[in-house]
Amino acid sequence: MSKTAIIVGASHGGVQAAAALRQGGWDGAIRLFSAEDALPYHRPPLSKAFLAGEKTEDQILLRGEAFYRDSDIDLHRGEPALRLDATKREIETGNARYGYDTLILATGSRARRLGVDGAELDGIVTLRSLDDARRIRPALEQAGSLAIVGGGFIGLEIASTAAKAGKKTTVIEAQDRLLARALPPVLSDFLRDYHRDKGVAFRFGAAVAAFKGARGRAQAVMLADGERVDADLIVVGVGGEANVDLARQAGLKIDAGGLHVDDEGRTSDPHIYAIGDVAAAHNPHAGARLRLESVQNAVDQARMVAAGICGAAAPAAPVPWFWTDQYDLKVQMAGLSRPGTTRLMRGNPGDGAFTLLELDGDRLIAAHSVNRAADHMAARKLIAAGTPLAVDQARDTTTALAKAVARTDA
Amino acid sequence: MLGQGAGLKLDIGRMDEKVKIVFQSVDGDRRIEVSAPAGTSVMEAAIMNNVGGIEAECGGACVCATCHVYCDLVAPDSLPEQQLDEDDMLDMAAAERRPASRLSCQIKLSRELDGAVFILPEAQV
Repeated sequence: MSKTAIIVGASHGGVQAAAALRQGGWDGAIRLFSAEDALPYHRPPLSKAFLAGEKTEDQILLRGEAFYRDSDIDLHRGEPALRLDATKREIETGNARYGYDTLILATGSRARRLGVDGAELDGIVTLRSLDDARRIRPALEQAGSLAIVGGGFIGLEIASTAAKAGKKTTVIEAQDRLLARALPPVLSDFLRDYHRDKGVAFRFGAAVAAFKGARGRAQAVMLADGERVDADLIVVGVGGEANVDLARQAGLKIDAGGLHVDDEGRTSDPHIYAIGDVAAAHNPHAGARLRLESVQNAVDQARMVAAGICGAAAPAAPVPWFWTDQYDLKVQMAGLSRPGTTRLMRGNPGDGAFTLLELDGDRLIAAHSVNRAADHMAARKLIAAGTPLAVDQARDTTTALAKAVARTDA
Repeated sequence: MLGQGAGLKLDIGRMDEKVKIVFQSVDGDRRIEVSAPAGTSVMEAAIMNNVGGIEAECGGACVCATCHVYCDLVAPDSLPEQQLDEDDMLDMAAAERRPASRLSCQIKLSRELDGAVFILPEAQV
């Protein structure tokens, strides 16, 4: 009898898993469940081109509608999975129960909320989904001023979109610099200064004490030091938490804030895999178990899990990479930043194009590029290969980074 | 004021116009004709119409090189100029890079491209 694969969550990871299962020769049924009504879409443009009104919903689709039909993928839109019975191998939605032979959880993450006074007021938003973006787009258009709580990637991308549209924008960050976990200080400072030049104001080391408003609508962010930041629209971008409810209730092992998976993406139940934001996997680049919230991570884990299910060899563990677009800056990160590395500057931040290299001994472990895509691509290969770097050449922008490899005597 | 209003109207007008393009496999065996609104990218036209052979993993941010096409059959002056980041990314494309290689996310459909034929490389990842 033909087997059934069920995928819960139809974003970058879930859709890629469905596509990769078909490409890998899975000939059973594939049911792909989405809590949302829309056709699955790319999330990165939500805070950028879509928010700015430069792209329509059709332009940010992950796949056209015909893809699901032509690939015989049964896409269940607007049908969230409510319960998982791992013993019976069934999921339950509001409509029916569906049995599976293999289950892939790609439930993603949701925006963390601030539990302070006034958090329930209108005009305080988070941005994760198309629905969020649909609501924020007109609100942003009407707003004269914007306060963004959290100087992370989403916050800074929204700041860039808002500042470009001429909105008075203030970013409130709890740490003393931007993106403190993901980026070394040189990059944090560069981005801060770039945003300041575009008119964005910052509050660092600032804790939100409450939101204040009138007639149910937020008007200001109150900081712990007593300062009041007035804003017509308040965006909270303080990170995500994994959607583990379904798995927790089924008794799957939770670890490092996500679903514990082995090196093949399997959870503590051998018939259930987890991919993307929700999966907490051992990451060889970090030397630790962690969740990564990125398109690359979701897509690569989807391919790996699908290959395993189809009986193919799993691809080598990929180098994590990530990008963010702000104004005319393309910031690209390869590898994972960690404290205590040797840092080498390639190029000059003053020129608006540079790469900061992070080395452990003579091996490249991470690279953060601003408007230097070639460096980023080279870094991904160098990190994966683990080849020793020739430091003088790596610093020299007249030499391609790909060629900055130390000579070894054969 | 006039400039802004006029510009907006022009954009909407252009989006209403459909442009027909063709995707063709390297060996020429497979030919798929699609049409999409002017202003959308060649990559987006391929995705909307489930052409296959275009992955577009990053959704048009020019960071993944999985929407590679060969433009040998396209009139060069109907294509936008190649930017440095696209040039850099093309070096990473899975299939062989050729002189007529482009990333289809960087090519917006315009009336000049009506009828243009884009060749799909053998692999994107």
